[in-house]
Amino acid sequence: MSQLAIDILLSFMVAAAWLGVAGFLRLRTTLDRIHCVTFVNAMAGMALTVVAFISDGPSDRALKILLLTVVSLLVGASLSHATGRALLLRGSAPEAEGLAHLVVASDAHDADGTLG
Amino acid sequence: MTDWMLATLGLAPPIAAAMLASCRGSSGNRLVAVQLMTGLVTVMLAVMTFAFDQSSFIDLALVLSLLSLPGTLLMTVFLERWL
Repeated sequence: MSQLAIDILLSFMVAAAWLGVAGFLRLRTTLDRIHCVTFVNAMAGMALTVVAFISDGPSDRALKILLLTVVSLLVGASLSHATGRALLLRGSAPEAEGLAHLVVASDAHDADGTLG
Repeated sequence: MTDWMLATLGLAPPIAAAMLASCRGSSGNRLVAVQLMTGLVTVMLAVMTFAFDQSSFIDLALVLSLLSLPGTLLMTVFLERWL
């Protein structure tokens, strides 16, 4: 029974990776493509964590994979924000044309110490 | 061939596709493709831990995941200001 669960979850993990990359190649704008990175990190990471605990139980290896998934999600969120902000400021995102001044205005607002 | 090894092999084509995507397009697209590749390689290293029964691979995945933060932040600063 557990072997069947491991097979299903591993297949799900690989399918999530393929789907994420297919979405990355299919979507047009860079800001849309950032969502594919988050999708792969979240879905593949969670499937891997569950399959590690099913396979190993609460071992060192499974706990490290849990830590890895949490770190990937947190780091991925920060990096998505930083990348999106850079794209907006740089004007590399065609759909965000003319929005860079909003980011700059928001930064100036934060520097004033006022709540935005 | 074990299930873990099959999963490792199944993750190779998406990594190759992400690597190809990181070689073409605008600077922003390349940066996001590298982020995608980092996530995929992290998952692959974690799966290889079970496939080869080598616990050191998971440490490599953790280090890669942690080091991707300063590396990508540096690249975003370059993208924002100079690239």
